[in-house]
Amino acid sequence: MSRFTMEEVGWVPRIPPVEAETATPAQLAALEACPPAQRRSTYFLTLANDAASLGERGALFNAVMYAPRGLPRADREFSTAVVSMANGCVYCTSVHARRFAELSKQPEAMRRVLEDGPAAETDPRRRAIADISERLTLTPGAVTAADLAPLRALGMEDLEVLDLLHSVAMFANANRLMQALGESEPPAG
Amino acid sequence: MSGDDLIETLLGIAPDSPLAALRLRRPEARRHAQGAYRELLMPAEPGAISHADRAALALRTALREGDAALAAHYRGLLLAAGGEEAAMLAEDLSGAPMEGRLAALLRYADLVASRPAEVTQGTIDALSALGLTARDIVAVTQLVAFVPYQVRVMAGLRAMQGERAA
Repeated sequence: MSRFTMEEVGWVPRIPPVEAETATPAQLAALEACPPAQRRSTYFLTLANDAASLGERGALFNAVMYAPRGLPRADREFSTAVVSMANGCVYCTSVHARRFAELSKQPEAMRRVLEDGPAAETDPRRRAIADISERLTLTPGAVTAADLAPLRALGMEDLEVLDLLHSVAMFANANRLMQALGESEPPAG
Repeated sequence: MSGDDLIETLLGIAPDSPLAALRLRRPEARRHAQGAYRELLMPAEPGAISHADRAALALRTALREGDAALAAHYRGLLLAAGGEEAAMLAEDLSGAPMEGRLAALLRYADLVASRPAEVTQGTIDALSALGLTARDIVAVTQLVAFVPYQVRVMAGLRAMQGERAA
């Protein structure tokens, strides 16, 4: 059985998170730049220990994952779930697999990828997204124009390709932060 | 303008090129990647992690991640901060034993960049024992995790440059 899941996974920080009640004005301002649904999460409150980097990084994350038009949000979530699997981040995988399932209404497709890996993906568009996501994650220096050809063959235009590159890159960052600063807790049972 | 954007400068993306125009369709992603770079490498209040320490950690990570252009940029930042000795340490990927505070930070960078799943509570506690505060630890981790972002955006944009050259 795969260690990846769509169930809620816990995350316990290895350093004390900032407490919202005692946060400094700079820390609160930095949290405001982060995605609204997550800015009071333990993870973001842990990152708030360094307000300067959180503000910029949170705003970058927001732009990459939620900017309108371009690559559909479900595709961004699918890509980041695949990247998180490649990087071994069980927590990030669970969060973004759930978001993909909600947005696409295709939890079974996601479950299959979680269980059997992205090679099990049969939908051509998702398979092409999975392939470039894994390749850019694991061997960025080897990526060439030929790796973008399958995306182009599916009709992806420049803005969608750029959005996909940004999503993959963002999770090179997020997976490392999450795994270094805390420990994931598998769902009970 | 590419002069204000590290990624465009390193990739030679001209201000009037189609790729520069494409990047401007995602202005927030462009601006905040540059902002994160600025706040991680050259913060006004660096805490216990000096600008030279930060450049050394970024150099090490860019080398580990295999991006020569980005590594050369961080080597330049480090030398400008007077870090000749630090550069020797940061560029030594031989695995030879390294001693001292910077060596411990570089080992942490190696772990976060290449094997983040192996970080433990003991790893973090060892950083605290070196005198790093919670803020310093988050800053170092953010920095070492940000370089892989830059590496992949640059790798992807190089592939798009390759499409246009074909």
